Amino acid sequence: IWIFHGFYAEEKLVGNLASMSTSERIKAIQKMPRTMKQKREIRNKVLKEITEESRHHSSQLLCCPQCLQRTVVSFRRFGNSLSECFHLLQLTHKTLKIIGASFGTSVLSYFIFLKWLLAFNIFSFVINFSFITVPQFVAAEPNNLTFTGLELFTGAGYFQETVLYYGFYSNATISKTENGPSYNMQLAYIFTVVIYFVICFFILLFSMAKSFCRNFINPQMFSGTASKLLCVWDFNITNEKAVKLKQKNISMQIKEDLAEVNQEVLNFSATERVVRIIIHLVCWVASLGTAIAACAGVYFLSINNLKVFVKEHKNDFKSQAAMLVLPIVASLLNAFIPFFYSWLGHLERFQTPGYQIYVTITRNTILKISIIGILCYYWLNIVAASESQCWETLVGQDIYRLVLVDFIFCLLGSFFGEFLRRIIGTTICVNLGLPEFDIGRNVLDLIYAQTLTWIGILFSPLLPGIQIISFSIVFYVKKVSLMMNCQPPRKVWRTAQMATSFMLLLFFPSFLGVLSVIGVTIWRLKPSEECGPFRGLSSMYDVVSEWIKILENYTASKWVVWIYYNLITSEFFFFILSVIALIITYLYWQITEGRKTVTKFLKKQIIN
Amino acid sequence: AEAAGAAMGGSGSLLPREALSEYQELTFLSKQEILLAYKRFSELLPKEERENACSARLPKSCILTLPELRANPFQHQICRVFSTSDNMDGSMSFEDFLDMLSVFSDAATLDIKSHYAFRIFDFDEDGALDRKDLEKLVNCLTGDGEGSQLSTAEMEQLIQNILEESDIDKDGTINLSEFQHIVSRSPDF
Repeated sequence: IWIFHGFYAEEKLVGNLASMSTSERIKAIQKMPRTMKQKREIRNKVLKEITEESRHHSSQLLCCPQCLQRTVVSFRRFGNSLSECFHLLQLTHKTLKIIGASFGTSVLSYFIFLKWLLAFNIFSFVINFSFITVPQFVAAEPNNLTFTGLELFTGAGYFQETVLYYGFYSNATISKTENGPSYNMQLAYIFTVVIYFVICFFILLFSMAKSFCRNFINPQMFSGTASKLLCVWDFNITNEKAVKLKQKNISMQIKEDLAEVNQEVLNFSATERVVRIIIHLVCWVASLGTAIAACAGVYFLSINNLKVFVKEHKNDFKSQAAMLVLPIVASLLNAFIPFFYSWLGHLERFQTPGYQIYVTITRNTILKISIIGILCYYWLNIVAASESQCWETLVGQDIYRLVLVDFIFCLLGSFFGEFLRRIIGTTICVNLGLPEFDIGRNVLDLIYAQTLTWIGILFSPLLPGIQIISFSIVFYVKKVSLMMNCQPPRKVWRTAQMATSFMLLLFFPSFLGVLSVIGVTIWRLKPSEECGPFRGLSSMYDVVSEWIKILENYTASKWVVWIYYNLITSEFFFFILSVIALIITYLYWQITEGRKTVTKFLKKQIIN
Repeated sequence: AEAAGAAMGGSGSLLPREALSEYQELTFLSKQEILLAYKRFSELLPKEERENACSARLPKSCILTLPELRANPFQHQICRVFSTSDNMDGSMSFEDFLDMLSVFSDAATLDIKSHYAFRIFDFDEDGALDRKDLEKLVNCLTGDGEGSQLSTAEMEQLIQNILEESDIDKDGTINLSEFQHIVSRSPDF
């Protein structure tokens, strides 16, 4: 069934298509919902019309349009073959298709997120490596320490005198030859880090805004049954068992939805409602209490660690192993407390399962944020003011160990959580069944690892490289574990909304927190006296102020000095920027409200 | 085209280059995907017809052996919508096959996907989704298991909810524009 195009309408269509440019025409023909035969007929008619027109103009312009057309055609063919080459490079494309086919789009969104983070880390590594590490190789000092295998785990020892940590970088102006081009290491270090974070900020902002725009156009329609029903069938699924499972899930979900709509869950009496509220409160207090206890434990352990490390500078096996205790404890807390939270979630009875998932994720996020927060407090306030020789390297080593242990625990978690659970579920305790792939937990683990990397970039510039290796291995292991051990998820998540919430979680707590930590480090903390590119200064930011003072003496760069004094350091400028941003936001909000009213009005008109 | 044929291995006949570039222009598929489709299609044909695969027609029973369609509850509808055969037997030529792959590919626009989805969901082919169509749709979605079919009361309630939400001109059916309106609001499509 299609709308019948009268003869006149078809003539008009052909005329429209003939007047478009070639690429637009191709796209327009592709978009037509007709069979191949009809599209071919229309295309031939259009081409005939074009050649007739060009024959008209041929007397005036001779062979030029033909040459132009030929070059355009060959250019387009080149573009096509280039995009096909790109397709070949997409090694993971096929893997992602297979995952989407067997498990649905929600699990697929985890792997897409992981791939995006991997690409992001490659970009970070390239920037930091080329601007900070490569020049340092030119002016590297020889390394006198010996390499034992233990350094891979503890990050100390041999690695202390390598480019891995901040302490190794020199504060000199490096130049290969006398009077040759020189490279100011101090300025390079601070500018690379700051500009990298500014670029990250904009990338995250635009990705978040794009997915927000796509997925939250009209939140009213979201709770609609119609949209859920008509759009729920995932045509991606090809496995027969998965199809039957999906059908069962859909029917269960429809029945649940209908039951909710028919009788409100809040049919409870007053006492039952009060009891439920009390249960909610108790669970929240329990979860916050656990988070606070975990933080306190981590804090006292790290203070102890610092005493051990600074006072007794032994390099033997026992003290090196003692350095690993803190990261292991932090990862254990991160691995086991979420089980407690999901148990609490089962205890409380929520109105919808979606609400339960969001509450559990919120609690896990609070736990992870508080652990990272307490560690940052410890690093910035206690380690920085301690008597150690090179506190930045100490912090870098701590972060290295945390990242490494977190990676190991991720692999172990996959092994125990999925592989052993499957064996238990199929042989010993058969009514448990196969495990499901816990998307929320895995995504939070990824965001945790990425936050640690971001914090560590200032203190250990090669950390993104380590994270690249770690993420690639995690991708492979998770994929294999998923295929071997898991079943498709039972609850039907709103996948598009999920992808947006991942981005939101990445941006708000994670990135902004990192920005504040880096800001405090650069502005307020005193770099160590004897190591690193900023030795001897009273804060890392002094490099920039001193540089500006030097620039004042050159007339050619007076505009840089002017920008610095009047825009970057003046509070008035930022105040005006914020006021303008608020005004624009308010105007857009009012425009949206106005459009909503117009939509309502138009709908009423359609009915009448 | 010869290199592509060699890469395909023993697929037998080759796809002529002009046809390949024409298909590339008329569908959303890339060259690789068209060649892969050609290979799959000719594998399903009996040996004698493989030489002119472009003009052969596959009967519906063969198409339904494809793994992507085998388990799909909408398999019959899909074959009906994409087939251009004159005697309504659901048989598909290679071009119909390419049309189907093009609409389901990632590169296809939302418009064309929703247009075809509407035709797939329109069981009685009257150009609108009325109550009977919606009933059949829900039954397809929930499957034929014992516990998963909805009771009549539940079905009534569900269809009532759907129509309330999506029927803008309140004529008791969902037409193409209303369907496309809902689909454009829901990014999960």
